[in-house]
Amino acid sequence: MTVSFDHALVLAGALFIMGIFCVVVRRNLIMMLLGLEIMLNAASIALVGAALKWHHVEGQAIALFIMAVAATEVSIGLAMIVGFYRRTDTVDPNALEEFK
Amino acid sequence: MTLYSILFYILAAVILASTAMAITRRDMVHAVIYLVVSFFGSALLFYLLGAPLLAALEIIIYAGAIMVLFLFIVMMIRIRPSAGRLLSRVQLLPAIVMSGLYVVVGAFMVTGDTAGRGDFQPAVAAPETLGQYVFQQHWVTVEIASLLLLVALVGAMIIGGKSPPESHPPVEEKS
Amino acid sequence: MLGTLNQQPILYAAVLASVVPLIAFLLIMVVTRRRPRVSAGLSIVAITIAFACSVLLLVRYWGLAALLQVTGTWVTTGQFTVSIGFILDPLSLLMVTVVSGISLLVQVYSLGYMAGDPGFSRYYAYMSLFAWAMISLVLSPNLLQLYVFWELVGVSSYLLIGFWYEKFSASEAGKKAFVMTRLGDVAFLLGLLTLLIPLGNLDVLMLNSPDIGSTMPAGMLTLSALLIFGGVVGKSAQFPLLTWLPDAMEGPTPVSALLHSATMVAAGVFLFARIFPFFSQSPAAMTVFLAIGTISMLLAATMAMVARDIKQVWAYSTISQLGFMIMGLAAGGYVAGVFHLITHAGFKALLFLCAGVFIHVYDSNDMFEIGRQGGRRLKIPMACMIVGAAALSGLPPLSGFFSKEAIIGVLATQDNRLWLGAALVGVVLTAYYTFRLIFIMLFPSAGAPSPPPTSGHGHHGRDYWTMATPLLILAAVTLVLGFAQTPLTQFLLFGVDAGGDHGHGERGLLIAAIAGAVGGVLLAWFEFGRKGSPQIGFVERIPALATLFSERWYLDRIYRWLLDRVVYGVFSRLATWNDERIINDGVDAFSDRLVGSGRILATLHRGMIQYKLLVMFSVVALLGLYFFF
Repeated sequence: MTVSFDHALVLAGALFIMGIFCVVVRRNLIMMLLGLEIMLNAASIALVGAALKWHHVEGQAIALFIMAVAATEVSIGLAMIVGFYRRTDTVDPNALEEFK
Repeated sequence: MTLYSILFYILAAVILASTAMAITRRDMVHAVIYLVVSFFGSALLFYLLGAPLLAALEIIIYAGAIMVLFLFIVMMIRIRPSAGRLLSRVQLLPAIVMSGLYVVVGAFMVTGDTAGRGDFQPAVAAPETLGQYVFQQHWVTVEIASLLLLVALVGAMIIGGKSPPESHPPVEEKS
Repeated sequence: MLGTLNQQPILYAAVLASVVPLIAFLLIMVVTRRRPRVSAGLSIVAITIAFACSVLLLVRYWGLAALLQVTGTWVTTGQFTVSIGFILDPLSLLMVTVVSGISLLVQVYSLGYMAGDPGFSRYYAYMSLFAWAMISLVLSPNLLQLYVFWELVGVSSYLLIGFWYEKFSASEAGKKAFVMTRLGDVAFLLGLLTLLIPLGNLDVLMLNSPDIGSTMPAGMLTLSALLIFGGVVGKSAQFPLLTWLPDAMEGPTPVSALLHSATMVAAGVFLFARIFPFFSQSPAAMTVFLAIGTISMLLAATMAMVARDIKQVWAYSTISQLGFMIMGLAAGGYVAGVFHLITHAGFKALLFLCAGVFIHVYDSNDMFEIGRQGGRRLKIPMACMIVGAAALSGLPPLSGFFSKEAIIGVLATQDNRLWLGAALVGVVLTAYYTFRLIFIMLFPSAGAPSPPPTSGHGHHGRDYWTMATPLLILAAVTLVLGFAQTPLTQFLLFGVDAGGDHGHGERGLLIAAIAGAVGGVLLAWFEFGRKGSPQIGFVERIPALATLFSERWYLDRIYRWLLDRVVYGVFSRLATWNDERIINDGVDAFSDRLVGSGRILATLHRGMIQYKLLVMFSVVALLGLYFFF
């Protein structure tokens, strides 16, 4: 048995589902952000697999940009969480109700 | 079973297991550490899949910078792990249904298309190749990404730097 | 890599020697942290294995004709290749033996010295880490691998100097050591990069090949040599980065013994010796090295003349002797420098370990205090200390005499007589301050010795003997090592006898060196030793000079001043101004507008974010399903 692109896709898909699960279920903003990271990472894995499958560096280039986006998203997201926490003393997403 | 595939499956197992651990931890520090393991696994996987530069960047950016940022925040806001149920039932059941949906979609995608069947032909994209490709074909994107990072920097300073008006009533701004 | 190993199974000994201490470190940290005795046992067994392996290798390859190198590729990127593996040549074989041998003795000694310390396991874990880093450093076949272990040596010495981290001064000293050596390391790294760009790899073999001069311009070569030497300056505590070493005395005494003899500071001189042929391609750089070595040697010797703390004296003498080695190497005396490095490792470890016994028993670092309390009653440490001190002063027939004499011989071949003169002055000063300490401890002046200390350790208990045994071994080595000069020289030069390298035969020089040493001892005797002597050094009669020396020539003050005025006063102020005025204010103005417009949009959003996300993701999934049917 050798590795085919499908296997990489299955891995990426499983990771992606874990990421969504984390975003939707954990009642904690920081964990939701972690879930987003997992999803982005899953996408990167799929793209790198695709790059190898078709022997073209495009996939890797996109994965590179995903990293830039991930860094952006984390810095903004965490800053917002800190601001949110300062006002409400909690990181429960349901408290966003009062926070506009 | 070649060495290549053994490595791949070991790495996949490590990544999945550590991610699963990460999303179910009550203590966020543990979650972050597990995720670091997962990202290290991903980095090795990238290396295996012929992307050495991305492997290095994965470690430097994801495991190094992003996760450390998370750790900082987790330690800074010192939140107590909540005592109640980790996953509330109201949210868990719909989420499971939805995950099932995703599994179905994924299965269709993988089985419905035969393009992904063939074995990988190992190849390595040298950092130089990737760098030249990115800067020749995607230079606009690079510019946009840099602008995005700048905006993120500014935004993070603004959002995170200001203290909320009600908890700290008007302190005179220093200079 | 494995192929070469399998052809010569004895090479596995090298792998074993460089890996076992790491395993011990990991095991102690992970498994046996709560069981101090097991941890100490593990660590000592590991270092014993390493020592046995290195002795085996040394015996097997004694008289080696050409160096052996086993490498595999670690990283290849573009034109750069970094290999990983190990190199076996006379220098690394000798150093491995010295490092593992002294580590072993120090670890055995620590069984007594550290007994009952709450951090006993941690101590042994760090010791193993230290040994591992240093052994691997010595065996590194290329400078990048060496640099990795170089930093590890720095980290582990930071951990050990700040071992009693509850004590403020200890943690400060650890930090200072780390930061000051880092300063040098930055230069080292830059030097490596300037080499990597034109050459494409950093193999020691290639750097040492004679035609390196033709592959890069002479100016560039000098620049890289100077930058790499920056690392040596930091690690080996040479001028101007020398003030961390005296502060590093805050660590436990066995740590100082290890740090000052075979590991941390030796790493700098070792690096010099490792790529000695490379350095000698650049005469201009070599002259700078010679000057730096000389300045450090003299400065540190003067500092040692007024110190009261017994460990401080040895610390200054370490700087001074390292400067001496660098002088020897920079003057072209490869064998002389390496030989002095090895003999110095032996007797300096001996001196520190002896000092440790006194400190342990009398609970004081002050030499006058120890003398008053009757230090000379501890016969074995006192005798060993005298042996070590005589070696340090360069009195025949101890090991230090031979190696010092070799360096002086090399310096005599220099055209400029200034260096030789400085070296002779250094010899006199060394003998003076060393015997000042010995006489103060042997012949305390103030009244009758007070009753024996009441501290509970029985002098002849088990602790005492675990500490005394390494002393005896080291003293024996110090006594005989000097006579091994000829075989060692031949070994180091691959059996080729390269005549003029060691400047024997100049009878006048020999007499001058001995006369210098004896003169220093006599001066010390006159001021401190003889009956009714005032026990005040000639330096202390000139208050200005004494303050200058004991304030370490105000080097620390100057650094502080520079830091306050230049770094904080100018650069930080500018940066702060830029931060506040341009970045903060500009960004504020820009973002206030954005926030204002955002408020309008914010009315559209309500809470319950996770349910929304759930619905969103579900819709996406359903769309996917729709897409496939």
